Amino acid sequence: MKIFLTLLAFLLPAAAMATDNVALSSTVFVEKTVPDSDGRARVILTEPKVVLPGDRLIFVLNYKNIGTTPATQFIVTNPMPGAVSYQGTPDRRALVSIDGGRAWGRLAELRVRESDGTLRSARPEDVTHVRWALTEKVPVGAQGKLSFRGVVR
Amino acid sequence: MRNILKLLTLAGGVSLVALGATPAFAVGTDAGASIVNTATINYQVGGVAQTALTASNTIVVDRKVNLSVVELGTTTTSVVPGQTQAATTFTVTNLTNATIDIGLAAANLVGGAAPHGGTDVFNPGAYTLYLDDGDNLFDAGDTLITYLDEVPEDGARVVHVVTSISAAQTNGQIATVSLTGTAQAGGAAGTAGAVLTATAGANTAGIDTVLADAAGTDDAANDGRHSARDDYTVSAPVLTVSKLSRVISDPVNGTTNPKMIPGAVVEYCIVVANAAGGAPATSVVITDSVPTETTYLGAFGVLTGGTVVTGSTCTPGAGAGSYAAPVVTGSLGTINAGTQQTVVFRATIL
Repeated sequence: MKIFLTLLAFLLPAAAMATDNVALSSTVFVEKTVPDSDGRARVILTEPKVVLPGDRLIFVLNYKNIGTTPATQFIVTNPMPGAVSYQGTPDRRALVSIDGGRAWGRLAELRVRESDGTLRSARPEDVTHVRWALTEKVPVGAQGKLSFRGVVR
Repeated sequence: MRNILKLLTLAGGVSLVALGATPAFAVGTDAGASIVNTATINYQVGGVAQTALTASNTIVVDRKVNLSVVELGTTTTSVVPGQTQAATTFTVTNLTNATIDIGLAAANLVGGAAPHGGTDVFNPGAYTLYLDDGDNLFDAGDTLITYLDEVPEDGARVVHVVTSISAAQTNGQIATVSLTGTAQAGGAAGTAGAVLTATAGANTAGIDTVLADAAGTDDAANDGRHSARDDYTVSAPVLTVSKLSRVISDPVNGTTNPKMIPGAVVEYCIVVANAAGGAPATSVVITDSVPTETTYLGAFGVLTGGTVVTGSTCTPGAGAGSYAAPVVTGSLGTINAGTQQTVVFRATIL
């Protein structure tokens, strides 16, 4: 049953299952720079209608506690899609992994071992996963939004 | 609230992610690849771990059409009048995130500044296109084509644009050619696909097309085309021929102030000059009929290869011509630009 529920949740990502206490949805926006009427460059967010290599994407995760009990140990994990290069998040709570989710930390703290044995600072494109571990509990009815940026490789 | 379970999150283990194609090309992710983003929530309620919840979102990468046509090399193609296979060479590169066909069209430009200096003043004959065989030189191994078939992402092809030059063209004349590549749908080997156009209107569920090419020398940006120019410059000898004569002796005065009287010996000198700046003239042969009022002087012979002319006096060269009545023949071989050679013979006035 557990497997069944997980699978169903995957197939119907936006639909909250009645048996779940938490709803989660994932949306993507494309960040476009367009000139406004005064000719100044303006950054707007659009639906991902046309997506091309090099486009900047903003991934938004919306969560809500739809159950009857507060949720704790609330952890949201998002692996980077293979064709997307991580570009950072404004959320200071976010941790990233550069090794497929084994170790976590802030990007500035992570090191990559090169093939010749030397260590270098991790770069955004090294990120394989991004994760938020909320320390506070999520009360009934509470909702929130998590986001990170990526660019289409 | 009791936290009985410390939650173990092995992110790699819970992600049900169908990864999009990992890009292997500088031009980016393949058109048609899906970017699937999946987030997972692990949480507890009442201290009990709940079933992990996932949410995913899929977007499809569209086709970003881009290509480049650039001249291969940095110099003009030097041609000679009457040349039948004169080639300029271009590199055509597919910068689209998909395999495409590339239509090719070579065109004459009329007038205007030529890419390597000077001004376009003539049009060569019809153009044919050849796909290079790997040596970047136009030669027998190259293949006659009309378009480039199934060029992969980042794929570059060397194309020779071949034409003929009229024998009437003269030294220094320039002809400018432009080569335009047009992005066409790939997918069917051996068949030129339809010209790619930008998808109009709203996004579709399939692969949309966006034209992202830069402006070339003869096309606009975002038109699915790119172009470049090269030029042909005629390099030909500029020959002038002059014939000099002077009297050497006469039967009355000998060699002192001789006059042109019957029995006098006359020296003829034919000067062939190749002006500076042209091409070498090879296999130069001079023939001259000895005037009927004179008799060829066999004892002097025909001397070729001299280079010094002072007034009407030629210093004879060391080479030997021939005489077959009444024609004098002198073979001069190659005359380089900026040099001259002479053919000298003598005859007696009847």
